[in-house]
Amino acid sequence: MTPVRIVTDSTAFLDQETVGKYNVAVVPLYVNFENEVIIDGSISNAAFFAKVRSSAKMPFTSQPSPGDFVKVFEQIIKDGNDVVTIVISSGISGTYESALNAAKMVDMNRIMVIDSLSTSGGLAMLVREAAEAAAQGKSKEEITAIIEAKKSKLRIFFVPDTLEYLKKGGRIGGAQALLGTLLKIKPVLHLSNGKVDAYDKVRTMKKALLRIVDELPPAKGAFPLYILHAEAPETVETLKHMLKERFPEAQITISELSPVIGTHTGPGVIGISFYAQ
Amino acid sequence: MDDGGQKPVLLSGHDLRQMFLQGTAYFEQHKEIINDLNVFPVPDGDTGTNMALTLQAASRELLSISSACTIGEIARVAARSALMGARGNSGVILSQLFQGIARGMSGKEKARLPELGRAFQYGIVYAYKAVSKPVEGTILTVAREMARGSRNAIQEDINLIELLNVAIKSGKNALERTPDLLPVLKEAGVVDAGGLGLIVFLEGCRQSIAKHAMQPVSAALEQKKTTGSSLPIPSITEVPTERVNLKEEFDARYPYCTELIIKGDALSVRLLRDHLEELGDSLLVAGSADAIKIHIHTANPGSVLQRSLTYGSIHDIKIDNMLDQFTKTRWHDSSQESGRITRTAVEQAATDRIFLSGEIGIVAVVAGAGFASIFTSMGADRIIPGGQSMNPSVKDIVDAVIDVPAESVIVLPNNSNVQFAAEQAVKLVEKEVSVVDSHSLPQGLSALLAFEREKSFAENFVEMCLRTRQVKTLEITFATRDAVVNGISVKKGDIIGITDGTLLVSGLTVDETVLELLRIVLGEEEQIITLFYGHDVGESEAVALMEQVVADHPQPEVELQFGGQPLYYYIISVE
Repeated sequence: MTPVRIVTDSTAFLDQETVGKYNVAVVPLYVNFENEVIIDGSISNAAFFAKVRSSAKMPFTSQPSPGDFVKVFEQIIKDGNDVVTIVISSGISGTYESALNAAKMVDMNRIMVIDSLSTSGGLAMLVREAAEAAAQGKSKEEITAIIEAKKSKLRIFFVPDTLEYLKKGGRIGGAQALLGTLLKIKPVLHLSNGKVDAYDKVRTMKKALLRIVDELPPAKGAFPLYILHAEAPETVETLKHMLKERFPEAQITISELSPVIGTHTGPGVIGISFYAQ
Repeated sequence: MDDGGQKPVLLSGHDLRQMFLQGTAYFEQHKEIINDLNVFPVPDGDTGTNMALTLQAASRELLSISSACTIGEIARVAARSALMGARGNSGVILSQLFQGIARGMSGKEKARLPELGRAFQYGIVYAYKAVSKPVEGTILTVAREMARGSRNAIQEDINLIELLNVAIKSGKNALERTPDLLPVLKEAGVVDAGGLGLIVFLEGCRQSIAKHAMQPVSAALEQKKTTGSSLPIPSITEVPTERVNLKEEFDARYPYCTELIIKGDALSVRLLRDHLEELGDSLLVAGSADAIKIHIHTANPGSVLQRSLTYGSIHDIKIDNMLDQFTKTRWHDSSQESGRITRTAVEQAATDRIFLSGEIGIVAVVAGAGFASIFTSMGADRIIPGGQSMNPSVKDIVDAVIDVPAESVIVLPNNSNVQFAAEQAVKLVEKEVSVVDSHSLPQGLSALLAFEREKSFAENFVEMCLRTRQVKTLEITFATRDAVVNGISVKKGDIIGITDGTLLVSGLTVDETVLELLRIVLGEEEQIITLFYGHDVGESEAVALMEQVVADHPQPEVELQFGGQPLYYYIISVE
């Protein structure tokens, strides 16, 4: 059985420990400022948003080129491994296309490419599952089957502080209808079939948090749960407290959003990802 | 017709038509007396105007048809046009009385008095059925007692004018007792306005038969005002409208807010409603044959679950003890609303969009250009201009519901006095329509926030109804007369502050009233205050006030919006 190495993209925003432990290869996306290109994940969110604020024009993001994936795939295969690639939803990024094209260029028989229909913590959860399976010596087909089954159960909710960033980035999808709202609202958004969609609207952050906590399945011992945010440490504490109270055994991972995702959500965003029953 | 000598009396279509026309004309002359009866000294709730407009709608149609029509036809036209023209809760109830008369007269050329009496009995049944929660001490009681008195009289075989005399006398007796039946009337020491309206109408009917001098009750009331004689109406200007009586309060007897979904096959909303009704109040049952959502306030959630289980499997069970939430502030539905409005004051702000099959349309009754824009921006498809005293007619609502190119429509009345008209409109449209019980503009906005196009009609409806309860409505207006309300002495022209129907502040400036009301109402939990400034408030004044509110309450967010509502300086939502 050929061993498998997992490839993902920078929006999973894996911590160094996880990357090292599972030997996951990460292909970065890019944030393009007027005079500068930043590799996703190469600077902190604080530094990144400081740059956004001081820059006259909003930056835009771009997917990795097929070439970026080709380099990674070729190296892994050369080392004698098969590849399972799990990337950010094709509904919000062209990364999946790039990876697929790269796989075709390299060797479709050695590389699986999976559209996570998610990103950030959701993508990270799938990558961990895949890496665990790979560590147990499962084949790329077996791992793909596991991930395909898991991804349909994956839920991701997020509450941006404002809709302005999503609007500018054009990644607003079904949340479009919320844009004209004269009253200030907190939109509760989620990824539905891999696209940003409006889930609910409330007037305050507290209510928004209650709303997303309500979405969790009834407590059943330990289960993985990601709190996602960009520049919202206080809200993270509030949400964590709420979650701990209701799900004392939940294994909570707190993760920032990568700058690429942050570009679209703006600072102050908070979110959550978990598996539905 | 023959009003005295000959028996039995036979009433023709012409006679009934004359009674309606004369009743309308007479009512029109006396409507201000009824308008002046208002439980709160606020510029709203014109019961007289609403009933007059309802009667005029009937009379206009009656004038356009031949007086040679059968009594069945006259009654049918009167009932149909009164229903379409019905405004306000009292107008709707009046139209239901006519509905019953039309049923009783159906197919008849002429009618004998016992038949007329029976028809009026039908009317009582219709009127009670039109009201989701009939309350005694209102126009309903007056109408029922009129029917009871007439029934006894008819057995004595009398003529029409005598019959009307008996009905009016029975009605007056019942009107006097309304304060004993309704604590809110007693507290204010007054009688019911809608009930008086019905009596005045019958006096007008009587005039069409007997033009001879006969002191009508309204004249007696006028006299009473000046002479202070012993008529049992202490102060003509302190009479509550029946609208207030229909207010739903949080009832401590039913502290458990219980929600669940029943899944099964061939489920019946009606059966479930009948079966669960006795277990509490605020019952909502909505859904389809295979899934029904239940919401009820009850003392015994276990019984609700048990009964539900006999229909199918139960899911998504949620039980909250509302006493936990409501200990700080007693929970009221707001009944005081946004004041008089002219038709031209609100732009038809709704824009058309393409409706997909199965999509739900939203119709909202809204006072003020700013509010209209806000409702539209949040997804309302049709705006019906209307506030407290310019209540839209049933027809206005029917037209808007039909006009939305959607098969299912949710109506936001945003005013308790529009609720009945909206509920009647629902019955006249061949679409799936439900009325959310939003009794203020903030409640309507709160409901509208919950609306999601992707969700089912039943899910949306239930969620929207629940959301109306999650916001407090504060209103700042002026007193229309001297009064003592809720232990607070109010002088005509005073600025007054009302929270969910309860007058709490009086006698300060507009800004002071806002600040004082917020100080009273705000607890630990509130996170956002939205000030909607009215037509008579300048933007800079409003901005200055907002800054003071922020200084007073640094914790919650404060938002300022132009509401544009007439007569109410500020409408404030706190949540």
